[in-house]
Amino acid sequence: MDKISHSVMKKDHAPKVSGRSVYVSDYPPEGVLCGKMLRSTVARARILDVDAPPLPDGYFYVDARDVPEENAVEIVLYDTPVFCRETVEYIGEPIAMLCGPDEKTVERLRDECRVRYEQLEPVLDPNRAQETFFEYKFGHGDVEKAFAEADKIFDETFETGYHEHAYLETQGMMAEPEENGRMFVHGSAQNAYYIHDAVKRVLGCGDGGVHALQDVTGGGFGGKEEYPSILGCQVAVAAHKCGKPVRCVLDRREDMQCTSKRHPSVCCYRAAVKDGRVTALDVDVLFNAGAYSTLSGLVLQRAVFMAEGVYSIPHIRVHGRAVKTNTTPCGAYRGFGAPQVFFAVETLMNHIARDLGVDPLVFKAAHLARQGDLTATCGRYHFPIPLPAMIEKIDRACGYRKKAVSYGQPQSGRYRRGIGLSLCSHGGGLNGATENELTKSVVRLHKNADGTVEVLAANGEIGQGLRTTFPKIVAETLGLPLDKVFYDHPDTARVPNSGPTAGSRSILIAGELLRRAAVKLREQWADGQEQEVEEHYHDPDFLIPFDMEKMEGDAYPAYSWSVSVIELEVDTLTGISKVLGAYGIFDVGTPIDRNIVMGQMEGGFLQGIGFASMEKMAYDRNGFIRNNNFADYLIPTAKDVPNLKTMLHVESYPFGPYGAKGAGELPLVGAPAAYLAAMEQALGGRPLHHVPFTAEDTILALAKEER
Amino acid sequence: MVNGYTASSLKEALTILAETNAVPYAGGTDLMLENRPGVKYLFLKKIPELRSITADERYIRIGAAVTFTEALASPLVPPLMKEAVSHIAAPAIRNAGTFGGNIGNGSDKADTVVVEFAADAKARIVSKEKERIADIDKVFLSRKHLGLSDGELIAEILLPRKGLERYAYTKVGGRQSQAVSFVSFAGVFGLENGRITNAAAAFGAAGDAVQRYRDIEKSLIGKTPDEAKKVKADYLRAYEERILVNQSRVGPEYQRIVCLNLLNDFLSRFGV
Repeated sequence: MDKISHSVMKKDHAPKVSGRSVYVSDYPPEGVLCGKMLRSTVARARILDVDAPPLPDGYFYVDARDVPEENAVEIVLYDTPVFCRETVEYIGEPIAMLCGPDEKTVERLRDECRVRYEQLEPVLDPNRAQETFFEYKFGHGDVEKAFAEADKIFDETFETGYHEHAYLETQGMMAEPEENGRMFVHGSAQNAYYIHDAVKRVLGCGDGGVHALQDVTGGGFGGKEEYPSILGCQVAVAAHKCGKPVRCVLDRREDMQCTSKRHPSVCCYRAAVKDGRVTALDVDVLFNAGAYSTLSGLVLQRAVFMAEGVYSIPHIRVHGRAVKTNTTPCGAYRGFGAPQVFFAVETLMNHIARDLGVDPLVFKAAHLARQGDLTATCGRYHFPIPLPAMIEKIDRACGYRKKAVSYGQPQSGRYRRGIGLSLCSHGGGLNGATENELTKSVVRLHKNADGTVEVLAANGEIGQGLRTTFPKIVAETLGLPLDKVFYDHPDTARVPNSGPTAGSRSILIAGELLRRAAVKLREQWADGQEQEVEEHYHDPDFLIPFDMEKMEGDAYPAYSWSVSVIELEVDTLTGISKVLGAYGIFDVGTPIDRNIVMGQMEGGFLQGIGFASMEKMAYDRNGFIRNNNFADYLIPTAKDVPNLKTMLHVESYPFGPYGAKGAGELPLVGAPAAYLAAMEQALGGRPLHHVPFTAEDTILALAKEER
Repeated sequence: MVNGYTASSLKEALTILAETNAVPYAGGTDLMLENRPGVKYLFLKKIPELRSITADERYIRIGAAVTFTEALASPLVPPLMKEAVSHIAAPAIRNAGTFGGNIGNGSDKADTVVVEFAADAKARIVSKEKERIADIDKVFLSRKHLGLSDGELIAEILLPRKGLERYAYTKVGGRQSQAVSFVSFAGVFGLENGRITNAAAAFGAAGDAVQRYRDIEKSLIGKTPDEAKKVKADYLRAYEERILVNQSRVGPEYQRIVCLNLLNDFLSRFGV
């Protein structure tokens, strides 16, 4: 193991476990107004008027009329309002914020508001959507010809549901007008600069009129990528109106019902098979984006870019759409569109193999992409693809092949077993040309006269360990002890924009910039002096530039790889499935800290198993999400997957810091397909097409079989 | 903050209950779900009369304020009840939750109540003026409805000492811990001289009720297991028609199928 991989105690370990960390709810309430949201109770309506009760002194009603500049939150497009415009577009959309010193009084005033709606017909079914936010098409080869010449054509549709982030700390933001006229916005978030830019635009105040800080954050998983920009704008507008600090922390039901989730998907895959091989794929991806566009375009991009899975198919055509429905806007969630398509393509490959009478793993191995092959977007796999070696390792660790044969025999009796395997990749970094042309990350190192070094970057610690791993990279490069290098939560007043905490990019992109900055600092190190160095991102030379018009080029510089195996036992009387073992092997390049990476791998894998099995969330025919609490939306506990084994395979990446690649999202991506494959085997081999596949689904499937 | 009264004897508690509208508090594990503003609580934890597990000739008597953890440690508590208790929530909840509270909060998903139904348990109900023994189904009526008058308190749960040896219990929840039951099942079987003396079957959580159908059970009583086998199809059909199901965390079809599967499995275990 590389020296840098040796685990250290996380820099934020002691304050977090001792309870000393200050989260946004922990700032003393004195002088701070509490904000509570008045939300739409209908999925689509024109607001005729709002009858608010008389407000006591010191209490405020804040809505769209109070937005100083434009009532539009900058995300990718500008369709998300700070407070609703003339219409509301989903249940839970903020109409106004009530603010005041006493929480209970604010709640009462909010509850006494009467909203008169002129109800409009909502669109709840994405298949019947009238508005497409984003649409992408690309491909290569001659798909029509391949289908015309096929021996057999497979045509299957796969569906996935909502997936709630279930971070420990709900969304919460606070805005404080400063004496110098600046607005200070801070809270639970991933990207201080997103908030900074959004608030700047809403207040019309210019870069100097605002700064944003990420407070200690209790988990994100993508859920705090774009949403804090919206909440940040809301508290900033309120603080601007009230002239006092305003804090708004969502309660759990509010958070689960009204904030972003993973996009529900419908993926239609057609495959042409000739001489036992898949010669063409024709893929149609539909994402339910919800009421506003938020990050759906970027999430959809990753989905379509990865639609081919880990294979090299000669002819491919991909079409993706993210459509508007009158439901909660969806957004970023660990995996970012990839879990939906990997679920589809991996399950499809299993089905084709079984139909052809071939072992699915043998069939998949025959189609694997290899170094130098084209990607779906006509980029290249520039580096070795270690999946064959990883498959052998996992087989040795869990006996996959042997069990797959054994469980593949006809089973009777109450308990039936199955084992499933999936192969995945995850491209590190933002999609396509985003890093090079839009984000243009910058990092700085500030050396103090006493020889300590501060990392100046914008990536947020959300439990993934950046406050430790960034300093580790810098300390290692400078040859300093780790306690001489530190990284605080980013404040846009102090740090350059090193891009968002997203896309498994923080270590891969910002971490490498920090390494290079440290090399620079090492070269000009002068004892006793204050020094600062800066480093800017540019694409590595090997990269085939991405053309966003044609959707061609390298979508990502480097790929991380995974093999996931899930072994389960179904109780045919109750439909309850017990995960007997979940085995994952992950290549994320060099782990910058082994414990931190293993924590990511275990947590992400378990999160994916939840998505595949029990985490079911849906809206009713009014567009209302009923199971908006942790008694009705279950996530797995440690007892659900006690036998969770994760391993690393290191294929180091020469352009990442010390060989590191992207890590955070990968472990989740393969779980759904592996889970469903195990379930199919336990239920006798019938093809299944959706996740989550719940106990209820199991019982209904068994009942269907009996009939 | 929680306001309330702490009683140190049953007599004192009953006096407070008679004179105030205090809500009995026996564990408080549901406070997070139902913390009603303005309510005054009567804390029962320090009342010795409610804290013991004893046995007399006919009954195991479990005090209403006995915790689940305490029950698991007691040699007196029958295995059927222990099995149900061991699957409740998680250790922290079992350390606080009590038998009286499990009945008192009126949840059809209460894991001990379905066992009490199948076991023909009784409850000793006390008030300032009098006390009475009531069958469990006269105490737990339906979801959020108890057969208690003002001033009455559940003091003990009485489980029969004999006849609970042959049993089946299954809790079906969405995950391995901290799960509200989708469906729960408790069955108690009795066989004397080759003939069935008891075939108690109780269902929890389905249809928002705890259900037991004695008239259907009767169709097996007095028969040998082989004779019972012959009427099993009719027996299962009768349940299929009677069992209440609804759309809650899981759908009605799921509830019905699982209830019947568990019932069928219960009888099969005992040769029927």
